[in-house]
Amino acid sequence: MSTSIPDTQAQVAPPSLAAKTPWRTLLGRIDWPLALFLVAWFIAVVVPLLGVVVYSFFETKSFFTVYTPSLNTWASIFDSGRFEVILRTLRIAFTVTAVELVLAFAFSLWLAKGRASRTVKAMTLALMTVPFFLDLSSRTIIWRAILGENGPLIPLLTGIGLVEPGSAGILYSEWAVHFGMIIALFPTMMLPVYIAISLVDDTLIDASNDLGASPWQTLTRVVIPLSLPGVIAGILFTLGSAMAAWVEPSMLGGGFVNLLSNSIESAYSALRYPVLAALTTLIVMILGVLVLAFVLIGRRFGDLSSSFRVLRS
Amino acid sequence: MNTAAQAPILEIQDAVHSYGSVLALDHVSLRVEPGEFVSILGESGSGKTTLLRLISGLEQAQSITRLAIGGQSVIGKPPAQRNCTTVFQSYALFPHMSVEENVAYGLKVRGVARAEALRQAREALAVVRLEAKAQRSIGQLSGGEKQRVALARAFVIRPALLLLDEPLAALDEKLRIDMQSELVEIQRSLGMTFIFITHSKEEALTMSDRVVLMRRGRVEQIGPPVALFDSPSSLFAAEFMGFENLLGGRVLDTRDGTALIELANGTRIRSRVGGDQPLQAGVDAGIAVRAEHLRLISAAGTNAPAGVNALPCEPSPAAYRGKYTERWADTPAGRLKLRNWEGKNVDVPSADTVIWEVEDSIAFPA
Repeated sequence: MSTSIPDTQAQVAPPSLAAKTPWRTLLGRIDWPLALFLVAWFIAVVVPLLGVVVYSFFETKSFFTVYTPSLNTWASIFDSGRFEVILRTLRIAFTVTAVELVLAFAFSLWLAKGRASRTVKAMTLALMTVPFFLDLSSRTIIWRAILGENGPLIPLLTGIGLVEPGSAGILYSEWAVHFGMIIALFPTMMLPVYIAISLVDDTLIDASNDLGASPWQTLTRVVIPLSLPGVIAGILFTLGSAMAAWVEPSMLGGGFVNLLSNSIESAYSALRYPVLAALTTLIVMILGVLVLAFVLIGRRFGDLSSSFRVLRS
Repeated sequence: MNTAAQAPILEIQDAVHSYGSVLALDHVSLRVEPGEFVSILGESGSGKTTLLRLISGLEQAQSITRLAIGGQSVIGKPPAQRNCTTVFQSYALFPHMSVEENVAYGLKVRGVARAEALRQAREALAVVRLEAKAQRSIGQLSGGEKQRVALARAFVIRPALLLLDEPLAALDEKLRIDMQSELVEIQRSLGMTFIFITHSKEEALTMSDRVVLMRRGRVEQIGPPVALFDSPSSLFAAEFMGFENLLGGRVLDTRDGTALIELANGTRIRSRVGGDQPLQAGVDAGIAVRAEHLRLISAAGTNAPAGVNALPCEPSPAAYRGKYTERWADTPAGRLKLRNWEGKNVDVPSADTVIWEVEDSIAFPA
């Protein structure tokens, strides 16, 4: 019974094919571009990351790295108050991302599907890319003058009656850090969301209206599900950047709002490379968990790949 | 059918609409009776899609005297509040939903419970013979299947009026012909009113109860397919309906629905009058004759038979076209095209006159 199968194969296959060595047929089956990409990705991303993970199990004694594996560095992270910093970083990053999502989605919806003219669209998109050409520090430093005690913000708010006269500025507070990050990361969230929304076919929106859906139903049942890929990309980009934010907390937080990046920076200047490695590992792990969570959430709301299908057409 | 007793399902009076400086609809009026299959026929840019978008509410008319669906005025109302749905040319199926979810969409947004909506969706899919593919995703369907899903999605909510925007344009030849008869069958079995946009003369003539021929934002002619095909009321309608031979002249006299017309070279032609308006003596008129209605005879100087139109001519040799043969004939009134479906040996030796029946030529105001 098992011999009958090779028999039929021998009848079908020409002799030259049968003569080929097995590894040769195997090579022919490999998807070469994919294989090359995976190898390159492994060398460029996975190997350094593994190195970082390994390094986090060493420790520093009087500015020298001791290459004896131990959990001392990991323990020190949770002892030294750096864990609080991680929680604070996560809280600020999530708040900023949530605010960005609401602002950017509303803005993109107006720009992509509202009555904005072609010129307005082109101008707005061009203006959105301007920040990418300017250094983040120079963009952020101007807010110190505006948000500070002697800046125009307090007289303005006092004038409207929102704050009492003589109040201190919001500079060097979490408010200022949030504010600075929301300003800086808006294009990061808005551009992928805008592209996804503008790719939603207008006739699908017409069809939804025509079939009797209210504007709200069209938004929640057609526009949002179809722009989900851009929304998820925007969330990941913004969350990643917000967790790595360094300029805003140091310039607008003034040392009062310590985030992970400040922690890493201080470890780096103290030459404590294992601490650096442990913090980095922790961030990568947190981001990995977040990405996984998004994939799972995406699955709950239906096949995520089906929303990506829109991008193909 | 006594249509006078019934209220029209659709009434449009004096619709005007323009995009920038382009006038898309120029004082268009239309009445559609319940259960009718009406085709709106025209070239691209004739305003037919604009008319459809005005009815569905996807576009609001700049000026309109009356727009009523099922007797109720819908001027200014959004598409969601109009009792009509559209089958889009690109199908516009939601790519993130399955076939049955697409069909159930219109029911769900109306607050029908999910289970009931899906049950009705499957019923509608059965009408278009797609119940086996209810769970499929849209990407897995062929063009013809997408077309039928779009149709089911539109009629499942039982609108008073179903609007179809060139739904067959994207299909290949064979599928298009199958879908033509299927659409008519579905329309008959549902008893629904269909308004069907097309640029294909053949589709309009084979499927509809009435055809609305549009040109440059105006209604050129409205009538049953036979009337449009046999009695065009204008030069454009005659050309669009495929009359190959068009002559011009002046009306001398009219009598019993026929007109005596003098051509530029002085030849007198008697012709049936097309359309509804009578021709006045003294006005300029056009005459249209189909190539297959012209015949060659050898008159050899004798008078042509009575009751037919005759023009002396010099025929060219016949060109073989498979199912028929074609030839040109040069006459004092211009070059005429002749077509013969009767097989091989119909050559008349020394033919020198082209003739046609009075009944076969149509006259209309030029």
